[in-house]
Amino acid sequence: MNISQKLTLDEWDGRYEELRREGLREPSYGGPLRRHVDRDRDFRLQQLRFDNSPAALRLWNFLLTENERLHEARAKGYKLVGTMKDLGTVPVMAYSLPGVRAFYPDGAWWTPCLMECSDKLLQQAEAMGIDASFCPVRAMLPAFENGEHFPKPDLVICSTGAVCDDFSAIAQRLEHRGQSIFWWEIPRRRSPVSGETAIQLPGNLSAPEIQVACVRRELERVAKALGELAGKTLDDDALAAGIRVANKVRRLLNELRQTVYSAPAAPLPALEMLVAEMLVIHFCSDREETIAIYEDLLKEVLERVRRYQFVIPPQAVRVFWVNPVADLRAMNLLEELGGRICGSDYMFTHALDLVPEDLPPLEALARTALADPMVGSAFERAERIVRECSDNRAEAVVVSRIPGASHCAREGRTIMEIVRCKLGIPTIELEIPPVCDAMLPSLGSRLQALVETARARRTK
Amino acid sequence: MIYAGIDAGSRSIKAVLFDAGRSQILASGLIDQGVEQERLANELFEKLLKDAGLDRSQISGVAATGYGRNAIRFASTAITEITCHARGIHHLAPDARTVIEIGGQDSKVISLEEGGRVRDFAMNDRCAAGTGRFLEMVATRLSMDWEKLGEIARLSKKPAIISNMCVVFAETEIIGLLADGKPLADVVAGVQNSIATRVSALAGRVVSSPIYFTGGVALQNGMVRALEEVLGMPVRVAPRPQFTGALGAALSVKPTAKTVNGGL
Repeated sequence: MNISQKLTLDEWDGRYEELRREGLREPSYGGPLRRHVDRDRDFRLQQLRFDNSPAALRLWNFLLTENERLHEARAKGYKLVGTMKDLGTVPVMAYSLPGVRAFYPDGAWWTPCLMECSDKLLQQAEAMGIDASFCPVRAMLPAFENGEHFPKPDLVICSTGAVCDDFSAIAQRLEHRGQSIFWWEIPRRRSPVSGETAIQLPGNLSAPEIQVACVRRELERVAKALGELAGKTLDDDALAAGIRVANKVRRLLNELRQTVYSAPAAPLPALEMLVAEMLVIHFCSDREETIAIYEDLLKEVLERVRRYQFVIPPQAVRVFWVNPVADLRAMNLLEELGGRICGSDYMFTHALDLVPEDLPPLEALARTALADPMVGSAFERAERIVRECSDNRAEAVVVSRIPGASHCAREGRTIMEIVRCKLGIPTIELEIPPVCDAMLPSLGSRLQALVETARARRTK
Repeated sequence: MIYAGIDAGSRSIKAVLFDAGRSQILASGLIDQGVEQERLANELFEKLLKDAGLDRSQISGVAATGYGRNAIRFASTAITEITCHARGIHHLAPDARTVIEIGGQDSKVISLEEGGRVRDFAMNDRCAAGTGRFLEMVATRLSMDWEKLGEIARLSKKPAIISNMCVVFAETEIIGLLADGKPLADVVAGVQNSIATRVSALAGRVVSSPIYFTGGVALQNGMVRALEEVLGMPVRVAPRPQFTGALGAALSVKPTAKTVNGGL
């Protein structure tokens, strides 16, 4: 078995030149990773360890050039839709229309991490009345105004209702500052009661018909607004075609996850997997390129598994990770301390499930939207986590929290208690801020303790 | 074989020499923590060797634990306090099912299975309110030794309620209580209760008996009482609780060909 070394940014400089000499073919957004530090001040890259493959290079370059891509799209006459809070459903609709690109302005919550707070977005948000007691999503407030991180969208679509309190407050502040927002409501998912017709949702969930109908009506309004923006009706045929492509993306990601998480050792690092998984909800503003990137990554991973070449030793402890981290460095840290990711729930598991293709498109999308883990109970989310931990032979669970993110205030403990009760494996909850350098020793201690505990439990 | 365990904590460094063949502690000692912790640990190690009449070549391995474990380069292994406190307490009290350790900068609750294996654990290291740091702050504020606080707490008739969740704000609250004429003993007992409450919250709903209390804070009068009150269960203090982590480290050493001389 070969274990590949992960690369620092400095090492990637040399690796990039080597790949170029070997005839590396890159897309238009290609280039050395270093330029994102020099030009865009993405300083955090200097602290990360990367996979050494051209496929990973393409993934990173794609992620870090979204702003340019959006500006180019606008220059070409595309309409830009900012979709917020809903994770994965509205983009499927937007990309069903020609000449429309969707992106997540609330994705600006990663900017303070990438730029190591040199962007000052969090401080500016505080000056706008949204302080550190709120989720780092507050970074989008000044980003909307300064235009440095994404172009101002032509239409902003935001879900409301069963969303976290702090997000709701931030989005309302945005509206009060003059940004027009198209709101659509999603109710908190509940189980059908006696006398109600139960509708099956993706992810082994169910909801009463009345809730599905409510969401479907809301999505009809969204479809109308998108159609008006595009100057073309978003009809069932276009939506069905969009769903088929979205499902192609989801199938590819699921195959990638399955291959990576079930391999005897990790063929792709946790960090690149996290970034890859995030693409499924927004396509990083280019759906076709997302497909190409997944195909590249999958090819690389399958080849590595075939050659028995991995990035983490096989004895690494199999960790199931819940929630995305505010500081990407944490994903490296787990691997440095002897763990590997064997499964994940980054809060958008409904975007991993296929949108039903045998239903009227809006009905299918309504059911998918209602399967969002964040609109249901923590218990239902925990049940899926338990199932996936079992399927993926997880030895430990990490529930990471983002400071101020109120949707997970109690959820972490619920998930941990249910995992402990049903699986009896060790769990920890970690609070990871956008830049966790000062906390690295204590984060490291916790993760190391988790790895030690899980490893000790291998011996009977 | 003789093994050494070093627990480089935030407040002090503890060390133990352990004879695995006789299952016996040969020497143990403690030194205040400082900037040059490797040098301090080495000095302590040398002292213990001298006390036990040994030299380095007779030590089959050294393991380090505690927040400074990675700085002790002459140790062959660095292991977390979770593992070490679990191993240490299992050696001393095999019936232990829960370990509570309140350290200078963090606190831990460790759940053990029969056989001493860690079932699960929880750590608080973001907030000083549930750690020994809170007691240190009070001792500094009152200009008295940390150890003296326990004696004062014993005199309390009605512990004060410290409502602040944050040590920084709690300090202001304590000053206010004292200024209002609240008896010192009641304030100190209130601080102990506050720490115990934090630790209890950390432990969650599942705490199995017997519970053992390890770490230096276990030696302070009143802390056991405070924990017993909030947990509603008896809490036993580990023998020489400040050395449990170091003992666990010594018990965790895997014999290697490398002698400790090689690392110095």
